[in-house]
Amino acid sequence: MRMSVLFRQRHMMLLLFFFFWVPTAANADVSVTLKLDRSEATLADTVGMVVSVTGTQQTSGPPTLQGVELFHVTSGGTSSRVEVINGNVNASLDYTYTLQTQHTGAFKVGPALVTVAGKTYASNTVRLLVTKPAQTDGTDRGPLFLTAELTKKNIVVEEQTVYILKLHRRVNVRELSLTLPEMEYLTFTRLGNPRKYRSGHNGRPYEVLEVRYALVPSKEGVYALEPARMNMTLLQSGGLFDDSFFSLGRGKPVGVASESLELAVSPLPEAGGAAGFSGLVGQFEMASTLQPPEVKAGESSTLTVRVKGRGNINLVPDMNLPALDRIKVYADQPLLEVQPDDEGIAGEKTMKWALVPEKEGRMEIPSLVLTFFDTDTRTYRTLKTPFHELSVLPGEGTTDKAEGDGETGMVSGTEKEEVAQIGRDILPVHTAMKDFLKPNRLRPQGWAFWALLLIPCLVYLGAFGLQRLRRQAFVARTESRAKRAAKDFRKKCRREDLSSSDLILFIRDYINDRFGLSLGALTPDEAAEILETGGATEDSVEKMREVLQKLEDAVYTGNGLRPCEDEGEIGGLILRLDKEIR
Amino acid sequence: MKGIIALMTGFGLICALFPIRGGMAAEPNTIEEYFFKANQAYGEGRFQEAISDYHRVIENGQRNGHLYYNLANAYFREKDLGRAVLFYERARLFIPRDGDLNFNLRYALEQTRDALAEPQDFLGQTFFWLNGLTLEEVMRVFIALNILFWGVLVLRLFVRPEWTYYTFLLIFVLWLIGGLSFGAKWYQIETDNRCVILPAEVAVHAGPQEGDTVLFKLHQGAMVHGERAEDGWTLVRLPDKKRGWLENTAIERIIPR
Repeated sequence: MRMSVLFRQRHMMLLLFFFFWVPTAANADVSVTLKLDRSEATLADTVGMVVSVTGTQQTSGPPTLQGVELFHVTSGGTSSRVEVINGNVNASLDYTYTLQTQHTGAFKVGPALVTVAGKTYASNTVRLLVTKPAQTDGTDRGPLFLTAELTKKNIVVEEQTVYILKLHRRVNVRELSLTLPEMEYLTFTRLGNPRKYRSGHNGRPYEVLEVRYALVPSKEGVYALEPARMNMTLLQSGGLFDDSFFSLGRGKPVGVASESLELAVSPLPEAGGAAGFSGLVGQFEMASTLQPPEVKAGESSTLTVRVKGRGNINLVPDMNLPALDRIKVYADQPLLEVQPDDEGIAGEKTMKWALVPEKEGRMEIPSLVLTFFDTDTRTYRTLKTPFHELSVLPGEGTTDKAEGDGETGMVSGTEKEEVAQIGRDILPVHTAMKDFLKPNRLRPQGWAFWALLLIPCLVYLGAFGLQRLRRQAFVARTESRAKRAAKDFRKKCRREDLSSSDLILFIRDYINDRFGLSLGALTPDEAAEILETGGATEDSVEKMREVLQKLEDAVYTGNGLRPCEDEGEIGGLILRLDKEIR
Repeated sequence: MKGIIALMTGFGLICALFPIRGGMAAEPNTIEEYFFKANQAYGEGRFQEAISDYHRVIENGQRNGHLYYNLANAYFREKDLGRAVLFYERARLFIPRDGDLNFNLRYALEQTRDALAEPQDFLGQTFFWLNGLTLEEVMRVFIALNILFWGVLVLRLFVRPEWTYYTFLLIFVLWLIGGLSFGAKWYQIETDNRCVILPAEVAVHAGPQEGDTVLFKLHQGAMVHGERAEDGWTLVRLPDKKRGWLENTAIERIIPR
């Protein structure tokens, strides 16, 4: 009893500690960061933006966004997190937005300004490049298609270009497999993990899966790249278990192919005068250090040379340090780190030498030279490390030798010999009572075994049945909500002084109720697409898109709380839509 | 009178709530005493006495790998190699990874006369890990995996982050391996018809009659497979497929039926 009271008290203490300590501890170090889900987009795309406030969960209102005046901004809600790691509380608040691009150009998005306890914090800024969408022939390419593009179409041998594959989809798929075009003299290297985002094509929204490959040709010529092919299973829902594992057989296999591309590869210009060119192509830099620069004779100093850059880093040669007078040179194994990113293959190669001077004095370490073809300037460039000077002080004479063999320095031990078997016998009886009292059973017995075997399965079947029943109830509820949607909307609109913000919320609620959705935020385009899919006429859909756009503009220009005068017109539009929707 | 009735009712209630289990309370002590006594006799070199005390413990319902191991040791000391091998093998069913047991069994088998190498069967080769596990251990692992398997399925009914799919796949594979192992082990136990030859030498006949032709002879400690029994005789099979009939008294099954 006493124990349980103590236990409860401890829990209460812990909860009180958590509630009172979190805000105070969390306010200690506030920071604001702004992130975009990508740095490049087209006019047809939406870009996800997250403003994260760490160190607190109590801000004076949402962030003020700068640098987004030329975008349509839609709020996607907030989420908060509290993490306790090694006793440190880290509270954070994320504000999610969607940016709809409207103009092409390079934009500086941000900073986002957040006020916490009277103090304003500014976030970083992010660069966003908006380009025109690729030219399309205007035809609808359906719910699933694959596109391919090259970042550079004219390159030289060993120069890299990025091959970008984008799977646009409006349907659910799984088990994707990709077949890349196979060409002699062309090497594909995948750059990072595939990325998912939303984009538009011909005015329709798509989920996009993007995969990037670095493409490096090893021979000049004009390459006609065959289409890349992607095979996948188109998902169909339903079934007993309704689990993707058990629905292995209930998909329809489909395949899509990208367009063919052409890549022109020119030979490298004559390397006249560029001695020591090893085939390295790209942009590189080289640095070297000698540590320590002053040593005693017999001690070692390390010369480190680092070659860093973007291109075929694997072709950086293993450099050789020339023989040095009165210095013993011990080369270390070179270390190559390849770091692929969105723009291609980059990396760093580190080479080290241990230099052991034999006599005191000042010794010069010569420069090392590296020649590469610069893809920016289209010329050969030669990089050189600086001269290093090594100061060698007199040594401390001979070191003490280990005890033992005078010549080898090995410590001699006792001579080992095989263990001889003198006799053989069985090992003694077991007398430990704890072993003896342990019950042993040869076969599983009793109801407990069958219960443990069957109960988990029965629990699953019960939960499955329960979920089915709940789903059926949910469907019935959704249907009932759909029937009452227009009526509810009109009821809400009876209030006087309705603002644009209220109307956006009511329209969102109407669409959620009418189509059984639970969307937190709704852009005009999303609303239009939902209504169009639902069977509304083009005229009504366009009208609704305009109304929503007008309301959103009012909200983001600071007029969101003013009374709206279009309420009657919207009510009529909703009634019209309700009749048209199937 | 009323007082006597009340007293009897009270006594009846106490009996119902705390039933007296005839002899149960005293028995474990007796078994422990026998075990202790048998170990003492073994230590003092009185092996026959130790054997009889170990048997008494077994007759009292105690089944334990360590008990069979001790009994086998006592038979070995008594130069009864047949029974020593029999009880070592019986002990192996319960404590298959015991180092002392495996050493002594190997040593005892080295002392036997007949060269009978038992080839490993398909199940033994496929589920090689089962040789070092008891059926109960395999069952516990399978039950744990079974709970995990259905637990993850229940979890996936409500939440479906990607990690649950991979966890499910992993557990499904382990559950399958666990289930097959459990089935294979159970099958191994149920179909284990190995018998050990007990007399110093025994003649194997062509039929279940004393007068039938003697096919070959076996010696104590040799292990054979008992196929079927008829009129006090058992048809046995050797690992090299030789077959013949033996009197039931000459052999004993490792797993009694």
